[in-house]
Amino acid sequence: MPLNIVSLVSVGRHPQSGRSRRAEQDGRAVEMGLKLAGQQLSVVHVGNPDEPVLRQYAGMGLSSLTVLKQADRFDAVPVLQRYLEQKNIDIVLTGVRSESGESSGMVPYLLAHALGWPVVARVADIVCVEKGEAQVLLALPRGQRRAVRVALPFIASLDLAAPPARQSAFGVGLRAKIETIESIGEVDQIRVDWQEAEAKPRAKRLKTVKAKTAAERFKAATAKPQGDAGKVLINETTQQKAQAIFDLLLEEKVIR
Amino acid sequence: MNDFSSVAVSPVGVVRRDPRKEWMARNRLHPRHHEVISEGVGGEMGANGLMRRNPRQIGFIGPNGIKRIDRLKGNAVQTPNKRQSVVPEVVLPWHVVATADFYIFVVPDMVGGRLSGHDKDILGLAHRLQKEIAGQGAVVAVCFGEVKETQFELAGVDRLVHFAGAEFEGFAAEAKAAALAAMDERWAPKHWLFPDSIHGGTDLGSRLAAELGERPATQAWQVDLEKTVARGAGGSLDISRATPRILFLLEECAYPIDETRHQVLSLEMPEVQRPAPRLLDQGLVAVDPNEIPLAEAEFILSAGNGIHNWAQFHQTAKALGATEGASRVAVDDGFMPRSRQVGASGTWVTARVYIAVGISGAIQHLQGIAQCDKIIAINTDAGCDMVKRANLAVIDDSDAILSALMMLANEKLVEPGAVQGNTNKEDSDAA
Amino acid sequence: MAIDWLPSVLIVTLLILAVIGGVRRANLWRAGQPEKVDIVAGLLALPKRYLQDLHHVVARDKYMSQSHVATAGGFVLSMILVLLVHVFGVSNRLLAGALLVALGLMFVGALFIAKRRLQPPSRLSKGPWMRLPKSLLTFAVTFFVLTLPMAGVLPEGTGNWLLTMILSAGIIISLSELLFGMTWGGPMKHAFAGALHLAFHRRPERFGGGRSTGLKPAALGGEVHGVAKPSDFKWNQLLGFDACVQCGKCEAMCPAFAAGQPLNPKKLIQDMVVGLAGGTDANYAGSPYPAGKGEARALGSAKGGADNVITAGLVDADTLWSCTTCRACVEECPMMIEHVDAIVDMRRFVTMEKGQTPNKGAQVLENIIATDNPNGYAPGSRTHWAADQNLPLMKDKQQVDVLFWVSDGAFDMRSQRILRAFVTLMKAAKVDVAILGDEERDCGDVARRLGDDASFQSLAKRNLATLSQYKFNKIVTTDPHAYHCLRNEYSDLDVNGVLSQGASGQAVEVLHHTTFLNHLVEQGLLNFERFSDTRMTYHDPCYLGRYNGEYEAPRELLRSLGINITEMARSGYRSRCCGGGGGAPITDIPGERRIADMRMADVTETGAELVAVGCQQCTAMLEGVVEPRPVVKDIAEILVGQLIEEVH
Ligand SMILES: Cc1cc2nc3c(=O)[nH]c(=O)nc-3n(C[C@H](O)[C@H](O)[C@H](O)COP(=O)(O)OP(=O)(O)OC[C@H]3O[C@@H](n4cnc5c(N)ncnc54)[C@H](O)[C@@H]3O)c2cc1C
Ligand code: SF4
Ligand code: SF4
Repeated sequence: MPLNIVSLVSVGRHPQSGRSRRAEQDGRAVEMGLKLAGQQLSVVHVGNPDEPVLRQYAGMGLSSLTVLKQADRFDAVPVLQRYLEQKNIDIVLTGVRSESGESSGMVPYLLAHALGWPVVARVADIVCVEKGEAQVLLALPRGQRRAVRVALPFIASLDLAAPPARQSAFGVGLRAKIETIESIGEVDQIRVDWQEAEAKPRAKRLKTVKAKTAAERFKAATAKPQGDAGKVLINETTQQKAQAIFDLLLEEKVIR
Repeated sequence: MNDFSSVAVSPVGVVRRDPRKEWMARNRLHPRHHEVISEGVGGEMGANGLMRRNPRQIGFIGPNGIKRIDRLKGNAVQTPNKRQSVVPEVVLPWHVVATADFYIFVVPDMVGGRLSGHDKDILGLAHRLQKEIAGQGAVVAVCFGEVKETQFELAGVDRLVHFAGAEFEGFAAEAKAAALAAMDERWAPKHWLFPDSIHGGTDLGSRLAAELGERPATQAWQVDLEKTVARGAGGSLDISRATPRILFLLEECAYPIDETRHQVLSLEMPEVQRPAPRLLDQGLVAVDPNEIPLAEAEFILSAGNGIHNWAQFHQTAKALGATEGASRVAVDDGFMPRSRQVGASGTWVTARVYIAVGISGAIQHLQGIAQCDKIIAINTDAGCDMVKRANLAVIDDSDAILSALMMLANEKLVEPGAVQGNTNKEDSDAA
Repeated sequence: MAIDWLPSVLIVTLLILAVIGGVRRANLWRAGQPEKVDIVAGLLALPKRYLQDLHHVVARDKYMSQSHVATAGGFVLSMILVLLVHVFGVSNRLLAGALLVALGLMFVGALFIAKRRLQPPSRLSKGPWMRLPKSLLTFAVTFFVLTLPMAGVLPEGTGNWLLTMILSAGIIISLSELLFGMTWGGPMKHAFAGALHLAFHRRPERFGGGRSTGLKPAALGGEVHGVAKPSDFKWNQLLGFDACVQCGKCEAMCPAFAAGQPLNPKKLIQDMVVGLAGGTDANYAGSPYPAGKGEARALGSAKGGADNVITAGLVDADTLWSCTTCRACVEECPMMIEHVDAIVDMRRFVTMEKGQTPNKGAQVLENIIATDNPNGYAPGSRTHWAADQNLPLMKDKQQVDVLFWVSDGAFDMRSQRILRAFVTLMKAAKVDVAILGDEERDCGDVARRLGDDASFQSLAKRNLATLSQYKFNKIVTTDPHAYHCLRNEYSDLDVNGVLSQGASGQAVEVLHHTTFLNHLVEQGLLNFERFSDTRMTYHDPCYLGRYNGEYEAPRELLRSLGINITEMARSGYRSRCCGGGGGAPITDIPGERRIADMRMADVTETGAELVAVGCQQCTAMLEGVVEPRPVVKDIAEILVGQLIEEVH
């Protein structure tokens, strides 16, 4: 029996230009969906059906895409919940965190809670689905993986370690049908009195030496800032040079 | 139960100077001179923070393994009690919360069983919030599974809750979330603070927030009692909002605690009702460093045209546990597979440490390592661009340095301390 | 001859068969897409195009051009006379005598062609082509003997049964090749299709010394983008493929072929012929596609048909992606076939329909779409390089003489050195110049060559909209790729005539910085010290030279410094590509060696210590060759080092 898989997609945001784009993780959710369900995959977006970015998702080889039409600033979760409840779904795939809006990453959790399904976060791969159970690899830091088994249905959020989204083909995206479903939204009340501003750069915390004595304070004040200029070892012995490298590796905790 | 909550509150946090002892220490001919000298040297800190001394030990073992009685000590260092390396913790005053009016719960990541820098920042923040609220509050750390941390009292943990047991080991997000929900019901904390991290904090926090039906502030970095500034839209926005009860915090959201000691008392844990787990942990998957996709690798040893002994290069990478990378020339010449090429037409890597061995630093190569934290160059040419870019450069033959590095790595392997570290893969990611 | 009617019957039969074949062949071409062509004007222009334009190309090979004139001229003349004399029976000694002369001419030509075939260079196809000179000789000899009686050299009715048999066999053999084979797919097809191809060429501007190098815009919005199947080509493109003589001149010049990448332009055109006619490549008798780093495909395994997807069985996509779009093949092709058009047409399908641009291609295109530059830099940082340059912005100036098109070199530290050098020179010459600053976008070159014409067109339209806000007379750029796009490709999308009406009312002049600097030097606005005696050579960038015909300005500039350029064996219109064009560094199809290394070897061969270029991409490619190697500098950088600045 083919799997009934839904990938949820949102409008991404390019970190450099701030322009709308296919979101990196959501693209992976579609990629994973295509791997598991092929052409049976449903891709769902909540928002504006005329959003051009949807064509970029469609260009991955989708013949159609469903949009639950809703104004900006409306809460996506109740609409999605109603939509997903109607269908007999096995797996819902999302990104970990959206690139636009609040980026809270709560959508998969809230949906899972509302639907009463388990949620697996930061998935690197869904290896296989057999007998109503999926074998999932979670992405851990530094390329490590953890294997987890989970029964269908469930929600998975895709990590950047998951296989990257395939290229979007212009022609395919252009021809895809966008099926719009009107939905009654609920205004996101909490968000109403938030203020948004361009992110302020955060100063990197200096390595503060808590100065207990005057001499230490003086040293801290006059110490060269941790500058860019690197250290160059030329005349030391080979042994010393290797030791210097090794010490740095230890300091950075890359060797244990 | 655990060991950490058993620390008795000691009313005296400070060890006082004893002028008489100092005089005895300076006077080598005093009959009690040895006794005084060995105090602090051979002594150890007791559970109550006071120094215990071993009257049988005189002198100490020097770095060369020879036992020495440091007779100069009395003169060089004024008193054994002032020896910086041993004593400073002792002088920190206690922060005592006798009875708490409210609680702030912190759920640290405890990477490798220890508090990470991120965890400590959040404990620091918890104390800042606690001070802003009327009444006496206690900061509670909630830990799961195996705990190796020994310094809770210095990190600002007033109370400690430790859920031990097999069901909390490994990947147990559901069990942990259920435990947190039970704690919430029992203690109704003023705040829940989680590290917003890939080490589990975000996942656990999100589960709790969904369970409690509360909207958390995520990627928060400026927090006080009223207002929270949190990143949004992929880190491009600062969202200012009223501070909610549940917060996921970025690193460096506050300074860690460093001037007080805390009681680390235990807190009553309610009975946790848990449904059967739906996510079944199958354990960590062993990943060969060389199988790690280059883009994800955090430690890369990269080879260029200046490598002449390829067998040695591979061995060194193995000994160091590094993922292998290469310049385009090394790939073109067939020494390395294409998937290992770093640079404009290869992979853009984000390693924390990148060692470039015999790579000149062509612009296309440098493009690929722009996001690396620390770059180490090994090159015979001190003038090449890679050396200019590197944080540490050694000017030497690649062959010689690699073999010296390999020796160091192998030596480290036989040291017992190192082996212990290697047993737990999840260990020691504090950054 | 014993049976007088036999020759004429044979000739007429083969002629009829040839006509049938011709109609059939024409129907194969008509499977292609419609394209408006002025049929009458084309046919009228045919002789001139053949004699002038085609021969201009063929004449680069003196031996071959003379042999060809003799053989082809002799054959055409003979054939007409044969029809008159032997079919229509016009008995006129003069006519017969002329026929003998024509046949003699053809015989001599064919002898030279046969001689070339004794030890053919590897670029030539073998197989049926080895037979062709023999057929030509047979024709000449047969009809010579046949005509002798009519010319009165031999008495009428000479010959016996045996001779009749031999001569009849000769007629059949030679005319099968020369008439029947012409339209049924033999080597002589090149004459038939070639002539029509000249008449109905898709780029008639190329004739009469013109240049037409801009790619044609893809139609967007249909059921298919780009060329999926042979029948998606324009009909005259299909005709063009059929014109190929398999001379391999393109193969000999192709940098990708030389680098061992899986591309041979000749084989590619032959595969197109297989595609349009249906069948396999089993009869192909030339050099195959190099194996690259993969497995070579066995001959006969490539299958195609007019309605089969080309990249599914006929041509591997890697072949298409190996091309640097250097146009060396087009420049060299005596049949004026347009390889690059075909390659990009097929790439468009792979990118816009399959989404399979290899290697970094997908990412680069995504970046272009999201940030208007291929590397995904913040668009707001485009002008950072010029922070200390004191360059006015168009936004502030509104009207200037020269608009400096900075190009994406703005983001690249190496290219910025070239940009700064050029700015210094312009300042020294007090040029009234401004830049678009952050309003500029990538010109679309890379997107277009990678087959994403949608992104190209979007960029071009947005750039044109920006340009339309300002007034200027010239656009000058240091990037030959941007130069080419602005000069030759934007016009198709410039519906409002932004570039055809500059500040002064005349068309905007788009110039490469070397051309512009050369003007300034000629006007005495720049003074230079002589350059020291460094041995120097100059590398012609493809997009400056072959695409735009600018070979002289860079050389004149160097000469104005007193430099004596040591030319490379391959320079000017035969310059070898650096490997940097057409998105090739992005798709990076593996070969046996790197194109840039071969070009650097060309440089080293001259003994030069310094190679001057006029393109930031060439600079990057050539500097990517491992040291030790000659120094690489843009002409602007060399000039700025010698600049004598007036002191006030
Ligand atoms: C379009 C394009 C894309 C490119 N993309 C990439 C890319 O993605 N990745 C990439 O790497 N390159 C890329 N390149 C190639 C790049 O320009 C350089 O050619 C390449 O990086 C050089 O490789 P290298 O540093 O290993 O070799 P070299 O430049 O030959 O450098 C070798 C270095 O080794 C040192 N050395 C020699 N012997 C010893 C020794 N015994 N011990 C220690 N040091 C020694 C030398 O001093 C020198 O610095 C690209 C080039 C182009 C044009
Ligand atoms: S354009 Fe250049 S690379 Fe492409 S086929 Fe022609 S000669 Fe070869
Ligand atoms: S394409 Fe042109 S140059 Fe190449 S073999 Fe055919 S006729 Fe010759």
